[in-house]
Amino acid sequence: MTDVLAAVLRSRWLRYAIFLGVLALVPAVFTRVPFYTMSVGVLMAIQAIAALGLIPLTGHAGQISLGQAAFFAISGYTSALLTTRWHTNALLAMVAGMALSAAVAYLVGTFIFRAQGQYLVLATLSFGLLVSYLANQLPLTGAADGIPGIPALAPFGFTISGDVDMYYLVALVLLFAVIVVDALLRSPVGKALTALGDSPVATAAAGVSIAGLRRNAFTLAAALSALAGSLYAHWSTYMDPGQAGILSSVQLLIIATIGGQRLVWGAPVGAFVVITFSEASKTLIPKVIPQATGNYEIVVYGIALIVILLFLPRGVGGGLIGLAGRLARAVRGREATAVD
Amino acid sequence: MSEFLTFTLTGLGTGTTYALVGLGVAMVFQVTGVINFAQGDFVMIGGLTFASFAGAGLPEPVAALLALLITTVVGALLNLLVIRPARRANRERLVILTIGASITLEGLALLVFGADSHFAKAFTGGGPISFGGARLPRQYLWCALATVVAVVLMWLFLTRTLPGTAMRATAMDTDAARLMGISPARMSLLAFTLAAALGAIGGIVLTPLQPPDASVGIPFGLKAFTAAVIGGLSSPVGAVFGGLLVGLVEAYATGYISSDYKNTLTFGLLLLVLLIRPTGLLHRASVVRV
Repeated sequence: MTDVLAAVLRSRWLRYAIFLGVLALVPAVFTRVPFYTMSVGVLMAIQAIAALGLIPLTGHAGQISLGQAAFFAISGYTSALLTTRWHTNALLAMVAGMALSAAVAYLVGTFIFRAQGQYLVLATLSFGLLVSYLANQLPLTGAADGIPGIPALAPFGFTISGDVDMYYLVALVLLFAVIVVDALLRSPVGKALTALGDSPVATAAAGVSIAGLRRNAFTLAAALSALAGSLYAHWSTYMDPGQAGILSSVQLLIIATIGGQRLVWGAPVGAFVVITFSEASKTLIPKVIPQATGNYEIVVYGIALIVILLFLPRGVGGGLIGLAGRLARAVRGREATAVD
Repeated sequence: MSEFLTFTLTGLGTGTTYALVGLGVAMVFQVTGVINFAQGDFVMIGGLTFASFAGAGLPEPVAALLALLITTVVGALLNLLVIRPARRANRERLVILTIGASITLEGLALLVFGADSHFAKAFTGGGPISFGGARLPRQYLWCALATVVAVVLMWLFLTRTLPGTAMRATAMDTDAARLMGISPARMSLLAFTLAAALGAIGGIVLTPLQPPDASVGIPFGLKAFTAAVIGGLSSPVGAVFGGLLVGLVEAYATGYISSDYKNTLTFGLLLLVLLIRPTGLLHRASVVRV
């Protein structure tokens, strides 16, 4: 009996069910607790989807990308342009945005991984910067003004009106994306990705095309970031060059790192922690220091980031799992002594 | 023709300061293996403190010395508070830590100096110098002079003194250096302090030409990375060459196309160099690192 229970507790489907429960509880909590609102919840879920691609790419294959916001923006702008200029169906525009982002990532991923380690950080960063400067300058993207008036999503006849509707939609997409990426990491391809991160040479020697694997992981990460970007565009109804900025890319990497890069849960946990920090400091700091401006927020955010990175090497998610493991061992140890 | 000469000279003038900052990036990378994303913030802090002190009525040399001192202390603190506690972390985490430090420093600068640009007079009065039909503000000469002096001093330090030799040894082989009794932690502190000083000098001489505000850290840092990467991150000569090249690209882009596109072209250049020669233009053998 206990064996069956233990097996169920270890099963990933139980974890998905718990995650679904947490996601479903969020609206009830977020409408009652200060500094959380439904729009914060939507933002967390969108950022979690965008950061999710970094788990296989950075956490497993060991390839850092500081250019993820570029794909977020490419897809968001594609959605915006198709729906406002040519009145395309919003879902179709989303698919087109993701396809375009994935195609760009496939192309860029073909040669960007020639640069490795810290050179890769700089290469992805300069790619992200190029896209963000272009978004800021091209007449097509509305330059610094951006594109306003993007219509809301209306999947299968349901009109998404208000943040609560949008939250449920985005949360479902997030759950689905988590399950897909988790399944991928468990598959032979996922094992190859992990091996690639641990030792590229051994992986290549085992007959895996490491260049192809890196490119495909990059394309997947871009597609997830693109999905989030289109969702964001249709939710906020406005796309501006700030979404393509380097700080957005940095934020996604921070979310994955703070949440824990090795597990799919790192993306939602990281998005929750990081956005909670920035929202809480926005609300709480003016209460503590009355004359405070928005600038204190940046300092608190930066220091919190440094402290978490220094003291939780595996991120908040990894830290929680480590704690759970220690608790479980302690409990088991006590049981063992009781039997003796 | 005189237009071309003007652009070239301005580009080389600004480029010398990028070279200085890029040199700091290359030095920290060689000694500690970390790309310091907060390097541009040293430029920002140096420039802002100099402009504030000079604006408060202090004589310019005193203001410059104070700015240099404060930035150097910030560099040392960055190393002691952020880099040293994380010495067992992998490189990726260290990179993100320096990004966190950069965000924090920018926020602190906003608190102390506000969001406005700070202005300072050129070091010496007098109109622009005419040279073969080109006209160049005198401050560019100060940029070039400061860079030459700083590079020579740095070279003397690295080749003629014991701490400098120890630093070069650490850059070549950290483990062997440790066996010889050199403390890598102390060398890392020294590298960050010197890099901060180089950044501060760049910030101080550029202040009259490009009035700094709290947000210039990231663009300066990126130009310094571009400079250092063109040189292969491991060669001081390369960083200087890269800095001059970045300055030239920027000046030509501003002059012939539009100042809106100067950053696009600079970072396009960075991407191109990384894709063609991932280990830098001046680097001879490319060693595969696993």
